[in-house]
Amino acid sequence: MLNIKAIIYVAAGVVVFGAAFGIGYALNTYYSPDLDPVQPINFSHKIHAGDNKIPCIYCHIYADRSRVSGVPNVQRCMGCHKIIKTDSPEIIKLTGYWERKEPIAWVKVHNLPDHVGFTHKRHIKAGLDCKLCHGDVASMSRVKRVSSLQMGWCLNCHEKREVVNGKDCWTCHQ
Amino acid sequence: MKRRDFLKYIGIGGAGTGLGYLFGKVTQSPGNKLIPYLIPPEDIIPGVGAYYATFCTECSAGCGILVKVMDGRARKIEGNPRHPVNKGKLCMRGQAGVQGLYNPDRIKAPMKRSGERGTGQFVEISWDDAVSTLAKNLTELNKKPEQLYLLTSDMRRRGHQHTVASSFMSGFGSPNIIRHDLLGPGNLEFANHASMGLSAIPHYDIENTRYLLSFGADFSSAWLSPVSYGHAYGQMRQGGNGRGKLVQVEPRMSLTGANADEWVAARPGTEGVLSLSIAYAIIEKGLSRAGDAGSWRSALGAYRPSEAAKTVDVSEERIYSLAKEFAQARPSLAISGGNLEGYENGPSCHMAVSVLNHVAGNIGIKGGVIPSPEALASAPHPMTGPKNSLSRFAADAEAGRIKTLIVSGSNPVFTAPKAAKVEDALAKIPFIASFSSYIDETTAYADIILPPHHPLEDWGDEFSEPGAGFAPATVMQPVVSPLYDTKGLGDIFIMVGKAVGGKTAARMPSAEFKDYLRGSWKEMYAKNRAMAAGAPTFDEFWIRTLSEGGWWGAESVKPRCAAVSVHAVKEHLSKSVAAEFEGDEKAYPFYLMLYPQAAMRDGSGALSPWLQEMPDPMTSVVWGSWVEINGKTAASLGISEGDVVSIESPFGKITAQAYLAPGIRPDTIAVPIGQGHRQYGRYAKDRGANPIEILPFKENPKTGQIAVNSTRVKVTKIGNGRLVKQEGAARELGRDIVKTMTPAEFERIKG
Repeated sequence: MLNIKAIIYVAAGVVVFGAAFGIGYALNTYYSPDLDPVQPINFSHKIHAGDNKIPCIYCHIYADRSRVSGVPNVQRCMGCHKIIKTDSPEIIKLTGYWERKEPIAWVKVHNLPDHVGFTHKRHIKAGLDCKLCHGDVASMSRVKRVSSLQMGWCLNCHEKREVVNGKDCWTCHQ
Repeated sequence: MKRRDFLKYIGIGGAGTGLGYLFGKVTQSPGNKLIPYLIPPEDIIPGVGAYYATFCTECSAGCGILVKVMDGRARKIEGNPRHPVNKGKLCMRGQAGVQGLYNPDRIKAPMKRSGERGTGQFVEISWDDAVSTLAKNLTELNKKPEQLYLLTSDMRRRGHQHTVASSFMSGFGSPNIIRHDLLGPGNLEFANHASMGLSAIPHYDIENTRYLLSFGADFSSAWLSPVSYGHAYGQMRQGGNGRGKLVQVEPRMSLTGANADEWVAARPGTEGVLSLSIAYAIIEKGLSRAGDAGSWRSALGAYRPSEAAKTVDVSEERIYSLAKEFAQARPSLAISGGNLEGYENGPSCHMAVSVLNHVAGNIGIKGGVIPSPEALASAPHPMTGPKNSLSRFAADAEAGRIKTLIVSGSNPVFTAPKAAKVEDALAKIPFIASFSSYIDETTAYADIILPPHHPLEDWGDEFSEPGAGFAPATVMQPVVSPLYDTKGLGDIFIMVGKAVGGKTAARMPSAEFKDYLRGSWKEMYAKNRAMAAGAPTFDEFWIRTLSEGGWWGAESVKPRCAAVSVHAVKEHLSKSVAAEFEGDEKAYPFYLMLYPQAAMRDGSGALSPWLQEMPDPMTSVVWGSWVEINGKTAASLGISEGDVVSIESPFGKITAQAYLAPGIRPDTIAVPIGQGHRQYGRYAKDRGANPIEILPFKENPKTGQIAVNSTRVKVTKIGNGRLVKQEGAARELGRDIVKTMTPAEFERIKG
């Protein structure tokens, strides 16, 4: 005869374990993403924006006229690196991409879901400093996300700055 | 539960959470990739749309469109606000144009047949292979070039793409161009030419008319230029001149009929008789404005309302009241299309309506029929006729006179009746090449396919009729780079022509089609002084034309005035203008009316899931076929909504689901055209029924136009079913959803 009680105990244990496993997985996915992913080329913002004081918009050329700021195209990198530091191992990697005519597949650090209609253009036009959302990129040798990019975080700022229609759903979710 | 067990569960839970977290960490995707351009194109800003002007090729109306292109992809099509035909508006066909571009079943490279003919099995080959195979085949015909046939649709409005195709054929030495276009206005053009002497479709000035009497012309859905007429209709109803009246004559209530003030359900095939009896009544009451009313009175003696009333199934009083209203409203306008175009004696029906316009004095006046001036481009302007009809094609194929066939822009296996035996004809032809973007029913018979660009990737131009009272010159330019290994349609003809060599090559433009097009426009610019106004050099003019979408400046040619003489139409009206229907009335009690929907038209829309998903405006049915049956008729046959019924003509049988329509004559059933494809991609294939299959093969002997409303049918219930449609019930059923009142009540409340 089967011990019904024992079966119930084991089944309850399996259920508890399964639920807990799911919670753990979700916690990781939603609350502990990789904030500073490893990039195909070890590009340092500290050297470019920090030490050499190159303005952000020199490379992210679309920030003031499009929703996206624009990942620098490979031609732009080569514009300088045909001459500068051509023997450094990371630049040799870059030259490799250029010669193979292959774009560099960077890993996204700041990712917004499709239902968010964020646009860089408006925020730049409003006179915001890039640092406000992206942190002090000029001191980072590998870019790390510093803001949560959650809706509450957006709204806090909209409220603080008294943005017109800043709390209207349609402002961002079009 | 014991304390011990509780703690055990806590432990298990803790371990689970930890393991889940670690599992998530290990399997976490490395994040989305951000892939930059290697070298950025100059005119693209990522995330910002650019708009390019071109024109819509979904039907022959020639609406100007603006395509929003983002990151090199065509995203959205809207009307071009500056274009005179559609004035910034666009119909659902135009909106769904991008689905033709991105259709997953588009042909992506040249192909040759790998299976049996008709099965649609092909393998990809290179362009060099494809062009040399076709050229080699054509070179073998060199001694008898007339054995090459081109099967196309009514391409002549397509400007210089058509010119290149024509010079290819004439250079090769073959006069055999077959034109097949199920919904083409061939009968109307013939009738207008014979009665009024017009070579182009005139401008029907719906906008400025006060009384529109439409014989079957469903101008809100699929007649000639729906967007342009839709706009004009809005002006007629709600513009500054007060509300014009619309009367629709048709056996099945169309979308236009549903908008009309009066719906006259004349007996199918007798609309021409009704038109002539209205004309007679106008003369009889002394209301005619024509100078030659006297001679018309005797010519129309057979159409006295007292005698015609029984034939047309409209009461004598109503004919007189229509005649009185039509003659007294100034200006008034009668138009004809839809089911009239589809009768075997279509031209006579159209001429009957021309006579009515003439008698009421509506030709050549504002708000009436205004003849169009000559188009800018002097493209050859052949009428469709028996020489290039499908029956001639079938006979020639049967007799072995066709050795090679090029198919471009026509699909007769789907759009011709089974009785036309197009498939047998194709089977007799040794070599078939198709210039098609999709494997449709006709292309499935091809030995080789040379796929052209989608019109959003191609160059071209158009001088559309009826246009906007004149033919605007509109340019087609690529708005995106080609998605696949395809070539421009003009360039395919040029490539093949050059590969054939000899005279054919000599007739082909030396450069590629894009440069040929530019050169042709340069010639037009040199000839036309109005074009040069405001653009001192051709380069300036061309850049401006491309950014605006075309050129539609002042026309210098005054339209000719036209009139209908008894002499001109006598021959066509001497026989009865009532259409004949196949099938014995006892065995086949119902008239079968086929009609094109705005979304599917001749079936070309079936490849788009958006259009399949869009509810039909009159029935709200989606993704399939239906048959409209009058509620009373259905009750007498024991048919309820959604039932599967068989529709049988003397020529075949189809099955469809019943829709109980209130707006259809009890002796008529109606089936929409467009579904029932056996090929044509995943969204069209094996869906619904193709009613064209069960038609008799009747062509008008003068125009070669196939009669789609030409048979009687019987209807029997064969099973139960449920129709997929949006509405719960088409009628209010006392729910008081829309408040209504009579005009008198409204006046009382207002006062």
